[in-house]
Parts: sequence; C-alpha cells; structure tokens
Amino acid sequence: MTATVASHETHVEHGPRRPPAGWRRLLFPGFLRTAWMVPLFFGIGCGIVVLCRWWGGWHPIWFGEIIVLVAALIAAPVGFLAGIGAFDYWARYAIGAPTVPEDHSGHGAYSWRDYFRVNTDHKVIGMQYLATTIFFFLAAGMLAMLVRAELAKPGMQFFNNQTYNGLFSVHASLMIFLFVIPAFAGLANFVVPLMLGAPDMAFPRLNALSYWLLPIAGTMMLCSFLVPGGAFAAGWTGYAPLSVHQPMGTIFFNMGVQWAGASSIMTALNFLVTIITMRAPGMTFWRMPLLVWANFTTSLLVVIATPFIAGSQFFVMFDRVMHTSFFETAGGGYPLGYQHIFWFYSHPAVYIMMLPGFGIASEVISVMSRKPIFGYRLMALSLLAILVLGFSVWAHHMFVSGMAPWLRVPMMVTTLLIAVPTGIKVFSWLATLWEVGFVSMFVIGGLSGIYLGAVPIDIHVSDTYFIVAHIHYVLFGGSLFTIFAGIYYWFPKMTGRMYNERLGKLHFWLTFIGFNATFFPMHLIGVQGMPRRVSDYDPVFANWNLFISVASFFLGASTIVFLYNMVTSMRFGPIAEANPWRGLTLEWQVSSPPPVFNFDEIPQVVGNPYEYGVPGAKHAVLGGGAREQVPVD
Amino acid sequence: MRRGSLVQLILVAIAAAAAGTAIALLPNWLPQPASREAGRIHFVFWFLTGICIFIFSIVASVTAYAVVKFRRKPDDDSDGPPIHGHTGLEITWTAIPAILVTAITIVSAIVLAKDDAAGANPLRVNVVAQQFAWSFYYPAYGNKRSGILRLPVHRSVLLRMTSKDVVHSFWVPEFSQKQDVVPGLHPTLHITPTRVGTYPVICTELCGLGHALMRSQTIVMTETAFDKWAHGAQTAAAVGGGGSSIFNQQGCTACHRLAAAGATGTIGPDLDKLAAEAQRAGKPLASFVRESIVAPNGYVEKGYPKGIMPQDFGTKLSKTQLDALVRFLVSSAKKGTK
Repeated sequence: MTATVASHETHVEHGPRRPPAGWRRLLFPGFLRTAWMVPLFFGIGCGIVVLCRWWGGWHPIWFGEIIVLVAALIAAPVGFLAGIGAFDYWARYAIGAPTVPEDHSGHGAYSWRDYFRVNTDHKVIGMQYLATTIFFFLAAGMLAMLVRAELAKPGMQFFNNQTYNGLFSVHASLMIFLFVIPAFAGLANFVVPLMLGAPDMAFPRLNALSYWLLPIAGTMMLCSFLVPGGAFAAGWTGYAPLSVHQPMGTIFFNMGVQWAGASSIMTALNFLVTIITMRAPGMTFWRMPLLVWANFTTSLLVVIATPFIAGSQFFVMFDRVMHTSFFETAGGGYPLGYQHIFWFYSHPAVYIMMLPGFGIASEVISVMSRKPIFGYRLMALSLLAILVLGFSVWAHHMFVSGMAPWLRVPMMVTTLLIAVPTGIKVFSWLATLWEVGFVSMFVIGGLSGIYLGAVPIDIHVSDTYFIVAHIHYVLFGGSLFTIFAGIYYWFPKMTGRMYNERLGKLHFWLTFIGFNATFFPMHLIGVQGMPRRVSDYDPVFANWNLFISVASFFLGASTIVFLYNMVTSMRFGPIAEANPWRGLTLEWQVSSPPPVFNFDEIPQVVGNPYEYGVPGAKHAVLGGGAREQVPVD
Repeated sequence: MRRGSLVQLILVAIAAAAAGTAIALLPNWLPQPASREAGRIHFVFWFLTGICIFIFSIVASVTAYAVVKFRRKPDDDSDGPPIHGHTGLEITWTAIPAILVTAITIVSAIVLAKDDAAGANPLRVNVVAQQFAWSFYYPAYGNKRSGILRLPVHRSVLLRMTSKDVVHSFWVPEFSQKQDVVPGLHPTLHITPTRVGTYPVICTELCGLGHALMRSQTIVMTETAFDKWAHGAQTAAAVGGGGSSIFNQQGCTACHRLAAAGATGTIGPDLDKLAAEAQRAGKPLASFVRESIVAPNGYVEKGYPKGIMPQDFGTKLSKTQLDALVRFLVSSAKKGTK
C-alpha cells in the first residue's frame, strides 16, 4: 500500500503565468477571453440550428425555443468554459502542441485574483465551491422568503400562480443542486486530500472543470425568471407530463440539471480515484477518517445514480422539443416512467446530501468530545449499508402514484430497514459523547446543531405524511447544520484565522430556534389537510401560516450573523494555529492555511484517526524522513 | 455507571417523553376520521408516534445529560477515556430498531391490505381529473355525472381514476386516503365512509397554474338520500347537447357560477354577469366571450388573478365546440339580463 505521489516531490513553487500585454491579452485564459468566446459560441449554436432547420425544411427556420436551448444553454456555456481556460491543457494535448505534465502554473492562490481563474489547487477549488454555493444559498433563501411572504395570508397577495410556482421550484432546485450537494463537495475538496496525506486530488484539471460548471448551472436556473412565461414551475421534481407542457423556463431546469449533474459526477470520480490511489503510506481503509469514508460512499452514490436524473431530464426535453413520447400517453408513453427514473436518482440523492454531513458530524463530535468514535467500524459499515439500501427504496416516494401495488410492501420494508443503519450512527454519536467526563465539548456553539439536527432525522425517517416539514428537517436540520458545522470546524484551516465564537453561538441559537419554529408547525398543518405547493389555502390555516412566515423571516435574518462573522473573521480574526482543536487527523498536522502542495514530506500513517485519550497514540508521523515501510494492520 | 447518574438520566428521559407526549396530544393533529380506512391509518400514526416518543426521549435525554454533565471546565484540556466500542451495546442498538421497524412493517402491511380490500360489491365511481377540475361518474346509475362526489354512508366505494392531461392527486383529508391520478392509467382507491358530512376534495399533486384552486367536495349522505339523488333526473345542464354539455365536460363548472348550468364555482368570475363584464371590457358580448375562452389573459375581471384560467381551450376545443359554447354562454347571459 504505497501512495503514488513520488512525482510531486521535486516541484518548484511558482506563481501563475502573467497575462501578456496588448491585444494578446484577449487570447489569455480569463474573463476577457470569455467576453468574446461566449458570443462566438452562441453564434455557432445559432448557426447550427438555422442550418439544420433550413436543410430539413422546417419552418420557421429561426425558432426561439430551439435557439435558446442549443445556442444559449449548450453552446454559450461551452464557450464560457473555453474562454475561462478549462480546456486549454487538454486542447493543446489533443492538437499535439507541447504540454508539461507537471505544469503547476495554474496551481495555488497568491492573490485574490487567483480565486477568479481556473485553478488546479484543491484548496482554492474548495474555497471557490464554498463561496459560490453560499451565494446560491442566499439567492435560494431569498426566494423562500418570497414564498413565505405570499403564504403569510390566505388569498393572493404579491404574485400570480405561475410566478409563485416558479419561486418554490427555483428555490428547491438551487438549494439542492447548487447548495447542499456542491457545498459538501467543496468542503470535501478542501479537506479530503489533506486527510489522506495527498498533495492534491487525483485529477486537478478535472477538478477545476467540475467547479466551473457550477456557476453555469446556477445562473441558468436563476435566469429562467427572465424568459417569456417565467421560471420553470413544475417543482424541483419536474413531474412529466406537466413539465413537458410548461413554458420555456422548463428547459432551463432540464439543462441546468445537466450541468450541475456533470459537475457532481466528475467530482465524484475524482474523489473515488483520489481515495483509492492516493492514500499516504500506512493509511489503510480502516484507518481512514469517517469523513473520507462518507465521501467515498457518497461518490459511489453519485456515480451510480446521477446519470438517471440526467436521463430523465433529457427525456422531458426530447418530449418537448423533438416531440418524442417518453412520457406522453398520446404517443404511447408512460408518465410513471418519469417518476421511477427520477426517484431512482433522487432518493439516493437524499443520501448524497446526508452522508457527507454524517462524516462531518463524526469528525466534529470525536474531536470536540476528545473521545474515539464509538464503534468506528460499524460506523463505516453502516455508511455502506445505507449506500446499498439507498438504491432499493426509491418507490417509497411513489406509494400513491398508481404504480404496481405489489411494489409497495417490499419498498416499505427496505425503507424502514434503512432506519437501522441510521439509528446505529445516531446511537454511536451518543455513545461517543457519553462518559466523556470533563471533556472539552461544545467549544463552538455552532457544532451542537449537527447533533440536534440528526435527532429529527431518525424520528422522521419513516414519515410520509408531512413532506415539506420532513424534507426541511432532513435537508436543513441534517445537511445545512452539518455544512455550517463543517465551515466553522475547518474555518481556521481554510483561512488561517479564528472566527468569533460568541457570534458563532448566537448564529447557532438563532438558526436552531428559527428552524424549529418555522418547520415544526408544518407537520401539524400538513396532517390537518394543507397540501404542498399551493399559493393559496384554506383560511383555517391562516394563523399557523402567519406564524411560520414570521419565524422564517427570523430564520433568514440569522444568516446575516453568519455572513458578518465569516467576512470580518476572514479579514480581522486572530491568527489561527495549525491545530486549534488538537485534532489527530492529517489536515491538522500542517500549517493553517496549508502549504501549496499540502505536505513538505509524505506523511506516514501509523494508527487510527480517533485515538483521543490513548496515551502516546499517533495517527501519522510527519517529518524525520521516515521512509521505511510501515506495517499494515 | 453510578446509580445516581442512571436515576438522573431516567428522570431526564421521562421529562423528554412527557414533553413529546404533550406535543402529540395537545393540538388536534389528525382531522376527525370519516372513513373506516382513516381509522386504521390513524392507528398506525399513533403507533408510530409512540415509538418516536420512545426514541426521542432516549436521544434527547442522553444528549442533554452529556452536554450538561460532561461540560468542559474552562481550564481543562485533557482527553476523555478512550472507549472504542462495546459489542453488547452495539448489538442492542442495532437489534432494537430492527425489531421496532419490523413491528411497524407488519402493522402497516396489515392495514394496507385491509384498506385495499373493497369487498364483493362496492359502489363504483369513475373519477376524471383535468386541469383544474374533478368529475365523478356513476356507472351504476346511467353514468350520471357530478362535479361533487356524493357517497352513501357505510358502503364500500371503489374509485377508478384517470386524468385527461397531467398527474393530479385525489385527497380527502377526513378519509385519509390518497391516490395519484395519472393519464393513461386507471388506479383505484377504496373508501368506506362512516360519517355523514361534507368534506373537501383536494388535489395534492402540482398540476399547473390552478393547482391551489383545484378543489371540490365530497358529500357523504344517508343511504336513502343517496338513492334519491342517484335516481333523480340528471340536471339539464349535464345531459343537454351543445354548449351546456361542453361547459360541463370541460370542467368550467368547477370555477364559474352559471345558473343555466347549475354551476356554483367561485374561483373565476360569475358568468351570470357576463353582460356587465363585457361592458367593462368595452367589447361586444359574443366576441368578448370568445376571446376570454381562447385568450383569457386579454382582459381579466377586476379582483381575479391573471393566469388561473387554462390558456389551451383554444386548441382543445374544435371550432364547432367553441361556437356552441359561445352561443350557450351568450344566450344565458342575455336571459340573465332580461
């Protein structure tokens, strides 16, 4: 078990290439080049459409929806990627121009500008991911505020129905595809190579490309509000045949999902290869931190499941623009086929959005309670159990869909079974906290949220009635709280500065109270008879809805504390030491922020990652030139 | 573990369980059941709630206890005792949830099977959903059509559903039964009403613009009242040819009031006042009616939101159908003004 990092041993640190002066600057990768490449590719897209339609004799030759689809949603983004320089290395390689395999000119950040270019450093990419996803988190949060404003009173206040349907559809899509999934990918991007003792991800250029796909997907979803007919309004689930017959905004969803999905798949492949091949010497699978385990299983889920949602959205788009009949009864299609394909991705997607959170929870709880993870192997195995079971439960979203009735009981069995590994995890966290005696616990208020967030997951896991409350307890309580916990936990490592702990606690309590006040009553009105996705409702629910709206504004406001804390601490916070939490895992054994290539010397892993309280226990040895073969247990 | 701390922990757990029970019992969670199936589903709900309170009290009490009891003292930097696992404990907390979910599975499967058993001779009702209206047909009574689901109490009813356009979902909260209505499929739903009364029929699957307003009613009647209604003459509007039957078939009755068709909808403008509305729009009556059907957003009556009325009637209706519908509406409007 030796790592393949030898080729990086002789690298020289040097800054990025300087842009040339004069007109040649237009050819240099960057935003200036995108400024002309995007229109160029848009034009090429238009040309292809017009030529094909003219040649096929289809009228009108200039057809708005197809132009938008091909030129604006496919060709222009490719132009953006080409302009920013995501393809430069591969393009040179493909045409036979000289390339340097160990070219590190795109690596590392030496000034703030380096965060705004194609950068192959996994730490820079991690930060790019986090900044971008927080931007879309705020945008999607604003949309949720608008939804709650409309629902504060029965009757129609601010929006018409189509706009309202668009608001919650875009809210959900951005939160899922542009926040939760990529925010975890961003955190893991920063942390996983460090935890493995690797200098970077296995495919740094692919890593950069997968980041740059994200702004494209997010912009596409937001821009759908601007097209005639408004944003896509069939919900984030986009059920056919409704989505087939919606205004043009729908194709922005169809294509946005493709770009975001491609990004996920590439990152997941990158994680898999990195975790399998780039572990430091001595880092066996059973010595990997649980966050690495979590990302390993998540990546398997992404690689297997994501192509299904890509397929489902392509089918909807084909039904729409090519008049195929995948889901159109009139042409022999099968509407339920959409739901099966969609949920075959989207249920595993729940675990794609949960397992990295479980990983973060394990890290934080173990380090903060100064105790080994209770039942480490069972924790890792339960991740794998969730992975396998996660693929056999999709139809529990379809119990009332009209699918074959015999499917219901088997799906119920698997669905309930999945509560068992989830329960194991919760109980193991509890046991880790337990008997800790005089522990240094809860040094940060923000961290306990993960825990309390995890409890409702377990309680609500088999619940199928009050979906809106349930999904927010899972994704807000489970995913968002752990994302916040992860950001707080690794903030010193990422920025080299400490954040304001009092503001962190304030943020936690505001969020915790606002969250429960907003979403708990939703269970009640759901059970009593308020359907989801409605702009108007029975006046008997007026009081609760007003309460929920007020609570949700409070919840939205709590984010301001978080942003203020992050921005000021990043600039003015006290300098962080290398290992402020006294963690054993490898990322804490290097400086904060880490050197450009992470480790000056290849670390030797000699023990388990959570040996807190064990006298003389070590996870890894750095320095001292220890190059002898380390025994593998 | 010391005995004292165990007692403390149990006390915290009892407090947590009490809090959970209070939240479960104090508000009126479930609507008053009005069908035999709802009663069974409510049983599963409370069964699950009990288990949830049990799990919640364990998790909450251990969390609270650990946080308070083992809080770090400000000057304490030492590690906790290195406990890596305990096989007995791990088996226990794998086994207990496994047993609980097995119990839940068995109970649910039995309830599901019972709820689906419609018996030998149920009353059959065909349900047709479309954007944004419900129609109910009674094959046993000459395919009598109704916009309101009328059911006899204590009789097993089998709804056979289909949709004309997109996926809808049929839900009566008091019946606790729900079924998606999918174009091209004919799923069934079994209901045995147990309580006379009027309950809402709600569409719960996002079906487009008017989704929030896609509501109807179900009226559960005594056997005799139902028989009388079922054998009564079909209202003229539902059987009559030409415009009035198109008005009914297209689901216009769900949203509009029109005395001539016996329609009492309140979502859209009152069609008995068409003449006045045409005047306000500044258009001749016949062309106003036609335009409002084909392009409803051209003029929207004050007080009604834009974009609720489906915009595809212009393509859905043939020219003859459209002409007949316009004639019917214009003639009824003229009668109304006289």
